Formats: sequence, structure tokens, C-alpha cells
Amino acid sequence: MTTSKPVNLQPPTPSEDKVEARDQMGRPATQRKSEVRLGREVQARIGQQLRAMYDDVVSQGVPQNIADLVRRLSDQDDRDDQVA
Amino acid sequence: MKLDPTIRDQVLATVPSLRAFAISLCGNIDRADDLVQETLLRALAHIDSFQPGTNMPAWLFTILRNLFRSEYRKRRREVEDADGRYAETLKSHPEQTGRVEFNEFRVALAKLPSDQREALILVGASGFSYEDAAAICGCAVGTIKSRVNRARTRLADLLAIDGVDDFGPDRATRAVLASGGRS
Repeated sequence: MTTSKPVNLQPPTPSEDKVEARDQMGRPATQRKSEVRLGREVQARIGQQLRAMYDDVVSQGVPQNIADLVRRLSDQDDRDDQVA
Repeated sequence: MKLDPTIRDQVLATVPSLRAFAISLCGNIDRADDLVQETLLRALAHIDSFQPGTNMPAWLFTILRNLFRSEYRKRRREVEDADGRYAETLKSHPEQTGRVEFNEFRVALAKLPSDQREALILVGASGFSYEDAAAICGCAVGTIKSRVNRARTRLADLLAIDGVDDFGPDRATRAVLASGGRS
């Protein structure tokens, strides 16, 4: 059906000019609406990646040397003398 | 007098997130583990000043942050390591995000001023309330809120600017969509 309309084969020049219009930030003016949506997506990704990065370390648990340190200090009678 | 096992277990339970916070401050896992050990030595030596029933994580985070701040003043040049070894501290990267995207995020996070990064991590990753985060950082609740907001806005800017070409149609595609989309 669309093949019967040759106008679709070549983009009209005026529309192309509109795409080239720039906003104050130097970005194409027609892009602004999608950037608002992108802003929310980015916010969601910030939260997700922040937690993923943090939880990656948390999931490593307690290193053995730190566990040993805590147990050793906990069992001492004179903890207060151990730190200058 | 031996330490109450309940208190000891609370300390141990806090260690994983204490390390995550330390790594986010130091950007270096060896320095971070030194900082955690120093924090635990200090904390257990002064365990009498901890009031049972209050927030153990907040107490330990406060000690660690104060130690880091005093060390930071001494070793300022060594501490910031934005593009360096932080990735090495992570044994695996999150499965659900690509390596490139993850590195982009890490670099963007490292570009934040340290007070903003710290506030964002305490609230957004450690899960502290604004009130606890304010107590840990020794500032007003409003200051924490403002730092978190600025951190999020700045990160969004950094990631959005880099991300437009990755997520949106490229210019040629947009031209076609704008002109021929109504067929």
C-alpha cells in the first residue's frame, strides 16, 4: 500500500531541517522530549547500579583476618589496653 | 570482662557493609581493609561508649568516617583514584548490567565531590535514613538531603550526556523517523 506513495521514498527536506535545529545545550531540539524520559531511566539505573556495586562487596562477607581480629579482641580481658 | 557475644555478633554483622562503605571512600581495597581493621580496633577499645539497643551500624560507620577523614587530610594525594583500582576491588560485576555501562557508572561516581558521593552511598546503597546519615557525617539532615539530590542530578547529567547516542536513535534514523514515520 505504501509503495504506491513515492513521497515516502525520499524524506522531505523541510523535516530534515527541523531535526537539525538545536536547543540551548547544542542538542537537536527534537530530542528534548526523549531526554526527559531518559532522565527518569537514568535515575532508576543510578539506584540500581549503586546498590549492585555496593552489594557486590557486601556479598563477599567477612574476610577471615577481620573475623579473627574481632574474635581475638572480644575474648581479651584488657581490651582498653590494646589501642594506644 | 569479655565482650558480650550479642554485641560481638552485631559488630561482625556490620563488617560487610562497613567494607563496602570503606571501599567507596578509599577507592582501594587494601586501604579500605586497613581502615576497617583500624575502625574495629578503635570501636572495641571503646565499646563501653556504645549504648546497647542503639544503631550499631551507624556507630561503626561514624568511627570509620572520622578515621578516614583524619587520614585523608594526611594522605590527600594518594586517596582519590577515580579511574584506577576500584574495579579490581569487585570480584564480579553485576550480571544485569554490561561491563561498559558499569565502568561508566563507576567513573561518573568518582567525579562527584566526596561529600556528595558519601551522602549518596549512605542513603542510596547502605540504606541509612537521612537522619542516620546526617549523624554519621556530623551535619544537618537538610544538608544530607541537598547533597544526595545534587549527587543524583550530577550523576544523571554525566550518564545521560554519555548515554544519548547509546540509547536514542542516531541522527540519520531520527531524520527518517521524523520525515517518513506517517506512511
